[in-house]
Amino acid sequence: MRKAGPLVYLTLSGAIVLSAFPLYWLFVIASRSNDVVGDWPPPLLPGSHLFGNVSRLFAAEDANFLKGMANSAIASLAVTVSVVFFSTLAGFAFAKLRFRGKNFLLMIILATMMIPVQMGIIPLYMIMVKLGWEDRLQAVIVPFLVSAFGVFLMRQYAERAVPDELIEAARMDGCHTFRIYWTVVLPALRPGAAVLALFTFMGTWNEFLWPLAVLESDNPTVQFSLNQLSTSYYTDYTLMFSGALVATLPLLAVFAVSGRQIIGGIMEGAVKA
Amino acid sequence: MARHRRGVLAALAAAASLALLAACGGGGGDGGSGSGRTTLVVKTFGQFGYDELYKKYEAAHPGVTVKEENIAKLGDYAPKLQQWMATGRGAGDVVALEEGILTQFKADPGKFVNLLDYGAGSLKGNFLDWKWQQALTTDGKDLIGLGTDVGAQGMCYRTDLFKKAGLPTDRDQVGALWPTWEAYLATGERFTKAGTGAHFFDSSGSIYKNILIQQGDHTYYDTSNKLVMESNPGVKAAWDQTVRMITAGLSGNILSYSPQWNAGFKKGTFATIPCPSWMLGTIEKQAGPENAGKWDVAKVPGAGGVNGGSFLAVPKQSKHQKQAADLVKYLTAAQGQTAAFQAKGNFPSSPQAIDSPAVQGYTAPYFGNAPVGKIFGESVKALKPLYLGPQNNPINDEVTNALIAVEQGKLSPDAAWKKAVGDAKRLVQ
Amino acid sequence: MATHLRPSTAAPPTRDAPAPGAHRPREKLLSRLDRGGSPYLFIAPFFLLFAVFGLYPLGYTAWVSLHDWTISGKGDYVGLANYRQLFGDPDFWNALGNTLGMLVVATVPQLVLALIVASLLNQQLRAMTFLRLGILLPIVTSVAAVGIVFSQIFDRDAGMANGLLGLVGVHPVDWRADKWSSWLAISTMVDWRWTGYNSLIYLAAMQAIPRELYEAAAVDGAGRIRQLRSITVPMIRPAVIFTVISSTIAGMQLFTEPLIFGQGPDAISGGSLRQFQTVSMFMFEKAFRNFDYGYGSAVAWMIFLVIMLLTAINFFIVRRMK
Repeated sequence: MRKAGPLVYLTLSGAIVLSAFPLYWLFVIASRSNDVVGDWPPPLLPGSHLFGNVSRLFAAEDANFLKGMANSAIASLAVTVSVVFFSTLAGFAFAKLRFRGKNFLLMIILATMMIPVQMGIIPLYMIMVKLGWEDRLQAVIVPFLVSAFGVFLMRQYAERAVPDELIEAARMDGCHTFRIYWTVVLPALRPGAAVLALFTFMGTWNEFLWPLAVLESDNPTVQFSLNQLSTSYYTDYTLMFSGALVATLPLLAVFAVSGRQIIGGIMEGAVKA
Repeated sequence: MARHRRGVLAALAAAASLALLAACGGGGGDGGSGSGRTTLVVKTFGQFGYDELYKKYEAAHPGVTVKEENIAKLGDYAPKLQQWMATGRGAGDVVALEEGILTQFKADPGKFVNLLDYGAGSLKGNFLDWKWQQALTTDGKDLIGLGTDVGAQGMCYRTDLFKKAGLPTDRDQVGALWPTWEAYLATGERFTKAGTGAHFFDSSGSIYKNILIQQGDHTYYDTSNKLVMESNPGVKAAWDQTVRMITAGLSGNILSYSPQWNAGFKKGTFATIPCPSWMLGTIEKQAGPENAGKWDVAKVPGAGGVNGGSFLAVPKQSKHQKQAADLVKYLTAAQGQTAAFQAKGNFPSSPQAIDSPAVQGYTAPYFGNAPVGKIFGESVKALKPLYLGPQNNPINDEVTNALIAVEQGKLSPDAAWKKAVGDAKRLVQ
Repeated sequence: MATHLRPSTAAPPTRDAPAPGAHRPREKLLSRLDRGGSPYLFIAPFFLLFAVFGLYPLGYTAWVSLHDWTISGKGDYVGLANYRQLFGDPDFWNALGNTLGMLVVATVPQLVLALIVASLLNQQLRAMTFLRLGILLPIVTSVAAVGIVFSQIFDRDAGMANGLLGLVGVHPVDWRADKWSSWLAISTMVDWRWTGYNSLIYLAAMQAIPRELYEAAAVDGAGRIRQLRSITVPMIRPAVIFTVISSTIAGMQLFTEPLIFGQGPDAISGGSLRQFQTVSMFMFEKAFRNFDYGYGSAVAWMIFLVIMLLTAINFFIVRRMK
């Protein structure tokens, strides 16, 4: 591996400052009181109101923030596990297996990525009414258990990351296809799958329009709760900032875990080569 | 009306307790299996301030539970409402309708229970005339909803900035500065010349809207729902008046509800703003305790002002229409409206509630003890019934955007007017 | 990790693999069933769930787009009237232009930056974990947070962007008033949010590139940029295709960032003269603000068709480059 020079460190450090600043600033405002909002120059150092703001957050009327966090955690976890499993499975099939109609079916999957999401709300709600799932948590889980995006990503990733010889060798050993997937393909896809897991978790966690449409304020997801913190006419900034900050913490945890997987992949790549 | 309602309540209570008895096999009220209980689901947005009223209603109606499901922002609530109506499920038993949305439903009232069928006809005198008319179809046969609050409007102003500009600060004298919008403009010019560094008002949208509703009995539509925006001189007059204020440099071009608008209350970047009753709480919180007494409330120029307001309606998909209608009558009665005013500052649409000592005697400590109950009451009573057509709100949004474009210097007033008219025509296509 | 799976013909048969010749015909049949059927089995879950939760909404939207619609629900059948009206609607063309414009302004720098960042990260670094995680922080910052922070940054009167411009003597910019300024601000938001995301995809793909290739190239005297162009990009080509296509699709569906940028209850119109209204915002405005769900559905189908067209063009270019 190439050694990095000082210029690389400088560039990356600059990029990190830019990347981290909004998150830092979120923390700054979340720890302040409302009277700094709109000040120039803006406050750049944390204050002492973090605890007060966060306790206001959990007490906020009609927001049910704690429940929203729990609901989102359940939904995001369920969706992530399912999407990673089905996407790696289908992605492997599309990248490495031969079957009739493969290209056509892949095109269909691509096409489903192109459907504008906002329009599906009313027909999807109709389906939920038929299933009796309005205001239930499964309404924000089941429709998202598979993802066209995930299949496509895993297909593109598997093309290069899983050498054909490896699969053929496993076949020679008499492995049936699912076993090949499980013992050969899945481990090889791990870095890509970790990326997909991270994205899927983020996406579900950040989903807003559909939960707002199908759930009610007594059983919300976290973004729904966040949205309940301000009315059309009044925005309590420090409350919203603390909400956004607290809502980001679980993502940081997921990030730390999957980040290690992604970086773990690099070591493997070195060994493989 | 009170006697009548009590009769209905008593009958309902009796029916409900009978049902409860039947369900529980003669047992007491407690330990009921739940099958005898009726849960009425009320869908609201923003803050209606009904929590105490629900408790009282439940106490008076054994067997009835009221559950409110609230969405904080109207913009998020409206698509949900649309989806409940389209699918026939999810609307609960009582829905809150903002006036612009109610207007859209009037063309096709079939989705809601006709409250006249539930004896609401006798309640006409309990609502401001124009509020009652708003929920009544043109043929007078269908009443979609009963009024809750009205956004009774005053003119909020910064006393410290007025003082700096050499203007009076006493709210009666300030009100006397602007009997008309022309006089308001003149005051604004005086204020601007004084060079306080602040603008006279935030942005022109709410000014325009207030001028517009003083112009007669209809605005963009005539009562047969024909678009008359171009031929109605009132609309153009309101537009021209607003444009004169913009060209005189009175507007701060600060988008409503943006962060800089919120901060403006504290920093005093604008000196006046038309303030509906529900905005007082916003101003108090945004300006903060350190600015207590700097904001005050005077009357609006011209005759009266209102911005927004809501109704309660019973969707046909409710399985408890009769009980829901009864709850609507209870919540919108004078006492209910007064209680909501005391809870969240929602100004009543019932003359009895407006004239009640609780409202008339209400003063706002943060605003130099301004008698806002009185000021707002006079403001809404001065208004004449105004007919709004189906696409009233979207059209008004286009006009507001055209005014913003003038403020930004992006369009000349003439081009902006032409654009607004064109947009409106396409909207009703 | 793959060593224990390396085939070894001399190895004794395992439980999973019956001894060669023991049940030849049955084994062959099973193997053929497995080879022929497994691919379909593997992709079946996707298509099953998609049929229920994807296809129905799509078909329903098409059907609805042929109807008049009010806040009360579906009205009369109107044929293609919604589409005819759409083609004559200047607001639609404006929104389409904005969307394509922002797509170019945002996506091109974003993918180039992502490639640079990923290749910088794909080398031996001190504090590697910290640097990698740090650069990817925007991915985990929640949408709400992004919205709040960036509306402060691009505030006209008290925003940091104008504050910094002021330090170098530039007049404050009313970011929302012009096309160029609003597009720039929104593209900044988009790029801030998604550059790390794309570089993560590139980084994951780069790890599959054998190191010897770089070493051989270095021996040949190829510089860093040369290596990036002639080794990295060709080797991660599937990932590049993926990001180009998914960025195009995401760009065509751009919604959250401009909405957040817009502020206020009427943000959906994307500025006083619709300077930054995207097609998704236009669709939402028609369907859920003006309650004309039929018209909104027609817009949705147009967006769908435009994205298909763009993707086809993407594929065409990729084929040509092969």
